[in-house]
Order: sequence, then C-alpha cells, then structure tokens
Amino acid sequence: MKNWDKNRLAVNVIAIFFFLLTLACWFLPKKAFSDSERRELAKLPEISPSNIADGGFMTGFETYSADHFPFRDDMRTLKALFNRYIFRRADSSGIYITDGYAVKTVYPLDPDSVNYAAKRFRYVYDRYLENSGCNVYFAVIPDNGYYLAEKNGYLTLDYGELVKLLKEKTAGFALHIDLTSSLDETCYYRTDTHWRQEKLRDAAYTLLTRMGNKAPERGYKTNTLDYPFRGVYCGQSALPLKPDTLCYLTWEGMEDCTVINGETGKAMPFYDMEKAAGKDPYMMFLGGSLSLLTIENPHAAENKHLIIFRDSFGSSIAPLLTESYGKVTLADIRYLNPEYLGGFVDFENADVLFLYSTLILNESSAIK
Amino acid sequence: MSAGQRVVSDLLIQKVSQKEESAMLFSGIPFLFYFLPAVVLVYSAVASRHGNLVLLISSLIFYAWGEPVYVLLMLGMVITGYIFGLLIERSSGHPKLSRLYMVISVIISLAVLGYFKYADFFIANFNAATGLSLPLLRIALPIGISFYTFQIISYTADVYRGNVSAQKSFVDFAAYVTFFPQLIAGPVVRYSDIEKQLTGREQTAEKILTGIRRFIIGLAKKILIANQLGELCGIFRASGEKSILFFWLYAAACVLNIYFDFSGYSDMAIGLGRIFGFEFPENFNYPYTSGSITEFWRRWHISLGSWFRDYVYIPLGGNRVGKLRHIFNIAVVWMLTGLWHGASWIFVIWGLYFAVLLIFEKYFMLKILNKSKVLNHIYVLFFITVSFVLFDSADLSMAASYIGGMFGAGGYPAVSDEALYYLRSYGVTILIGIIGSTPLIKRAGIWLSRKLGSAVYIIEPVLLCALLLICSAYLADGSYNPFLYFRF
Repeated sequence: MKNWDKNRLAVNVIAIFFFLLTLACWFLPKKAFSDSERRELAKLPEISPSNIADGGFMTGFETYSADHFPFRDDMRTLKALFNRYIFRRADSSGIYITDGYAVKTVYPLDPDSVNYAAKRFRYVYDRYLENSGCNVYFAVIPDNGYYLAEKNGYLTLDYGELVKLLKEKTAGFALHIDLTSSLDETCYYRTDTHWRQEKLRDAAYTLLTRMGNKAPERGYKTNTLDYPFRGVYCGQSALPLKPDTLCYLTWEGMEDCTVINGETGKAMPFYDMEKAAGKDPYMMFLGGSLSLLTIENPHAAENKHLIIFRDSFGSSIAPLLTESYGKVTLADIRYLNPEYLGGFVDFENADVLFLYSTLILNESSAIK
Repeated sequence: MSAGQRVVSDLLIQKVSQKEESAMLFSGIPFLFYFLPAVVLVYSAVASRHGNLVLLISSLIFYAWGEPVYVLLMLGMVITGYIFGLLIERSSGHPKLSRLYMVISVIISLAVLGYFKYADFFIANFNAATGLSLPLLRIALPIGISFYTFQIISYTADVYRGNVSAQKSFVDFAAYVTFFPQLIAGPVVRYSDIEKQLTGREQTAEKILTGIRRFIIGLAKKILIANQLGELCGIFRASGEKSILFFWLYAAACVLNIYFDFSGYSDMAIGLGRIFGFEFPENFNYPYTSGSITEFWRRWHISLGSWFRDYVYIPLGGNRVGKLRHIFNIAVVWMLTGLWHGASWIFVIWGLYFAVLLIFEKYFMLKILNKSKVLNHIYVLFFITVSFVLFDSADLSMAASYIGGMFGAGGYPAVSDEALYYLRSYGVTILIGIIGSTPLIKRAGIWLSRKLGSAVYIIEPVLLCALLLICSAYLADGSYNPFLYFRF
C-alpha cells in the first residue's frame, strides 16, 4: 500500500471515530436527570440576543455540553479508572476507596463553619430552651473517615478540634455525648455517606443512657431489602463499586407507634418502601429529608419528650430512641428556619439533642 | 504592594476568571465536538474557492464566543492593519511618508493594547506615586489582544522593511490575523511565515495526519497533565498546612503545569493549522532540557522571544553596541517581555529577573556552564523553578513567602501529612510530566513506529482515538478547563 494510502487510511479511521462521537453529541437524546449524581442536568441555555451579548449562553452551553456528553456516566467511570490505575491518584472526585469502603475526604476542618453551627444551636437555646426546663445535649456523628483515614494514609479533619470548638461554643447549655467509641467503620455503608441502622444499637444505647434513661432492652428484627443498595458514592466517585445491602429494624409494638409528617400533618410509616425502591433508598428512613416530624410511642418506658435537631443521619437512629420516649420530634433546621419553631414544637421539659454529622458541621451554611 | 497595585492585581484576577469562563477553548466540548467538526465539514466542501473566507467567518465566531462585543474591536484593528499595510506599500517611494504610516500604525496598535491592558496599571501606579486617587477605568481585557496586536505590528513593520508585500485581499489578511488556531494564545505567527500559504497551501493526508496527531497529543498534555497539576497548585494555595516538601511539590507542579498547559495549547494550535494546510512555527523545543537560561529562551515561547528580538532588540541595536548599551537593550526587552505577560509589577520583576541572568550568562557564565551538562541543567531548573513560582504568585509578598518557604523560611516543618498525601496522589503525574518534558517519549515513539512498520498506520490511529476518548472522558466529567496564557 502506498504511503499516501496509508496516511489516508489513518486519517479516515480517526475521522470516522471523531465524527461518530460528534454526531452522538449533536443527536443523542438528552436526559433531564442524572441518577448517578442525583441532580438535574443542565438545560440548553436561552438563545437570545441579550444572553449571547453578555456571554450567558456561552457559559451555559459549556455546562450543558458537558452534562449531556454521550454516555457521560461511562465517560466518568473511564476517567475515574484512568486516574486510579494509570495516574495512581489517591482519590476520585474527593472520594477514595480503602478497606472496601468509599470515603469522602472531609478535610480540612473549617472552624468558621463549626462556629456558625454552634451559633445557630445557641440561638435555638436562647430563644426556646433556656427557661423551658430542658436538658440539652449535642453529639457529633463522625464520618467513616474518622475510622478509616488515618490508618490508611488519607487526610481527615481534626475531629478532636471540631468537638473542642463545639464544646467551647455550647458551654453552659449543652452537654457533649461522645459517640466515637460506640461506632466503627462497619457501622457505615460501603458506598454511601450514612450509617447502617442495624449497627446503631450501641450508639443508641450511648445516647439514651447519657441522656439519663435506663439502658434500652428492646429486641429488634433485622429486615433486608431484596435489591442492592447503590449509595451516593457510587455515582459521585464514578468507580465501579460493589453495592451494599440495606437493612432496617422492626420491633414488637412498632405498629402502635404513630409517625406524623409535620409538613403535611398526615401519618406516615417509619419506613417508606416506595422510597426504598427509588433513586435514593436511604430516604426510606422516616421519609428522608423532612423538616419536621413527630413519633409517638405508647409503649415507651417513660412519657418523656425528646427533640432532635438533626441531619439525614438522624432519620435512621431516631426509631431506636423511641424506646425511652413517648414522643420524639425531629426538626431539620436546614429546611425549617428556627425562627418559626415555636409555632410547631412544644419545648417544655423536653430532652433536646443536637445530632449532626461532621459532614454538615464542616459545611454548615445550609443550617438556617 | 500599594493599595493601587493591589486593586489592579485583584482586577487582573477577576478579569482572568471572567474570561476563562466564557472563552471557547480548544480543550472544551463546545470547540471539540460542535465548532471544529462544523468548520472542518464546511471548509472541506469549499476549501478550493472560499477556504480563507470560511476560516475568517469561523474565526470571528470563535472569538465572538468569548468576546461578543470586543470582536468588533478586533475587526477594527484588522481593518486598521490592512489599510496601513497598503498605505505603507503604496508610499514606499516616499520613505518618510511610508515610515510615518508605519509609526502611526504601530502607535495605534500599542495605544489600543496600552488602553485595554495597562491603563489601570498606570493609573494605580500614578496614584501611588502622587498620592492622588484617580478612579480606575476597570476595563475588561479583550482575550488575545496581546497576540493579535503583535501580529499586526509585525505585519506593518515587515511591509515597511520590504520583507513582505502588503496583502491586497482583506479576507486573506483578516483570515491571517484572526485565524482561530493561534488567535487567543499564539504562537505569534508572523505574516511572513504564512504569506505564501494564504493562497498556495497544500492539504495532504500526511499533513492532516500529522496535524491530528499533534492536536490530540497537545490536548492530552493540557487535559491529562496540565489540568491535573493545576489542581495541585490550587490545593497548595488553599492549604493551611504548608511544609517545605509541599512548597517544592507546588513548585514542581507549577513548573510542569505552565509548560504542559502552554506547550499543549501550542501543539493544538500547530496541529489545527496543519489540518487546514498551514505550517506554523514551533513554539517550544523541550525547554527544560536547556543548559543555560540563554538556551532556555530559545526553546520556550520561541515565537514571542523572536518577536521581541526582531522588533525591539535589534532595532535598539542588539549586541552591536557598547557594553552598557547592550545591557540596557537586554533590560528593556525583558522588562517589556515581562510586562507583555501581565500588567503587574510581578511580571516586570519576572522579566528583569531573566534580564539579570541573561546578562550574567553573556558576560560571565556561559563558558563555565558549557563545562558540565549535569550542573548546568541543575542551574537552569533551579532558576526556572524560582521564576515560575514568582510568575504564579498574585503579588510580591506571596512570591517572597513561597520562595522563602522552599528554602525553610517561615518556620514551616520539613514534611506534613498533607504534603505526603499529595505527593502520593500526584507523584505519578509529576513523573510523567518530567519524562514528557524531555524528548524521550518522542524518541520512543519514533523507534516504535520503525519497529512496527506498516502496522503503525493502524495502531497509531487507534491509539490516537483512545487518547481522544480518554480526554473526552475528563471533559465530560467537568468541562471547566481554562488555559493560562490567553489572559495575555
């Protein structure tokens, strides 16, 4: 074959590949939502003279074209694999895999963020709790990096410093409950941020006993979902991770409990099986991200009231705390402005627990 | 740094960020999979008759993507350059008139460049020197203005000198100035380099193949190496846990990031030029293998260095003058080179830093450097590393802090957990970068292609497609991907 034929062949091979990819960019149908990233994908920006003149269309098109790149999830996986195995990068999009767990790098500690969270806790105390006869506590839920990072050579925030900051800022009104000894890495999902409900009995024990309750004795049955649970890190890391199994606990007398969605006023189950089969199965626990809900347990040891200011971790541990409390109220002040709490919650003589993970405390801007 | 300088520095950073967000970049999906295929298709259909017109229109679209308003400024500059080129040539029989036209053209180009790029710098320094508080103009810097004004200046100067004929076709001239492969980040292509190619270029499969190869390799250099090391530089700057090791890790990342970013972009520009039948001059020739700073500047941003040599240094007298005047010429050229990179004292000092080294080498060191290949490389890499840390700093105090930190100043520990983590995470990328900045990979590629014989015509395109796919994967994961040099 003559040289010019060979050159032409080589050019044609590349051109065919390139134009096929181009045609895929131009004509493949566009998705509206990314399941792996759990977010809406960018829409085509408005094509108008003003939007073009100020560059808005161009900036929007950059994002749009990346969001809708053909086989984007597979492309992200290709990048993650290339980074991991060729460049030997320690993490992928801030998530690393160690001891079989996906871990999000939470580093460095942001003292301003922690101080802001503490300031909002103090606001709630000053506004509602100070003269209400409440016992106030706070507990920090360590992310799984606390147990995995240092021993495997990864970076993690200074947990001790975080707790120390919170203690200083809540001194005089809240007692710290240390959960670190009640948990280990096996208490967390391998592919998700959250902890596993079936592994939280020690943590529930610590919380309940430190809040002055007698040791919990309730027996639980562990139920397992039939289908695999692909946690949020599967999509974020874009690495091919082995999925988890998701378990939930039931107990005798559970059916007598009442769970009320504070947003709608309607009753709801502890575990929403529709959401268990949805895009984010962890949301099955107490309906996911609700701003306010109450649980009433007629079989509780005492007819006391527990109010938990929480993030998403609270959804899975709250059912275990109902053993000691006739009423448990969960408030998420990322969605519900504390200004309006008084209209919805009776704080009189309640036990109040601020229960937040390091992930939220280190990025607390969402707290209102 | 004075308050005025700090304001200008902040303005620069703000301007760069805004421009980076909106410009169409070679290493971006809109360019790669929307603009380029459309241009290639249309060009291929009409190349023989309207090739330059297609390139002009597509270049204007390319530029307007990032500068929907300033595209008119660029067109105005092109029209000015075109008219003055013709006027200079038509008055060649009247040397004084011809010279006047040339001077006016250069003044216009420099005035426009000076206004958009340096006005606030001069105002801020004037305020600092006089104690006045004249308001800053806060003008947005048009992308690529430093490149196209220099091209127009060199064109009118070359017409005046008789090195080239004035271009009669406005389309051809405009296509030359605005040609998108080299418009916003070089190389600084002189009209004399491509005069004949404007009307008589040949497109062959071999040329297209070498162009594609060059483009894809440049894309990989930018995305797989430069961008990753740019991330590391950002991580370092944001870190609250610095250590001597981290300073050196940052310095290495900085040096390699700048090289792979800029040379990658030049490769893409040269590759694209070749696809359309143009041969652009080389802009980088393995500068980190240099044995002296003198040699370094013959291998780094070659087109800019030669521009300053031919249009500033030689007209000033070059080295054919007395010693003091020679030193003065070097200092002026390098001060201007620094200033060309940015309206900030950091860049002026950076330029003068090289002036001092070059003068030192010329008069004392060159013979000594030629004696040891190992020591001279260490010498070059050391001074280049310090220079790029300076170049990358937002202001003088940051530069002093970083350079001092590299040598133990500031009380930093030798090593930190963070530094070790990032050394582990980016070590392979840095190693690939170090090897890639030498001719080793190219030589290995040539050796391999000889061994493979004809099979290389199948294997190479498959490998290039794979590389393009991998680069696309990185882009799909996050399209924000700015290039460093187009702020100039």
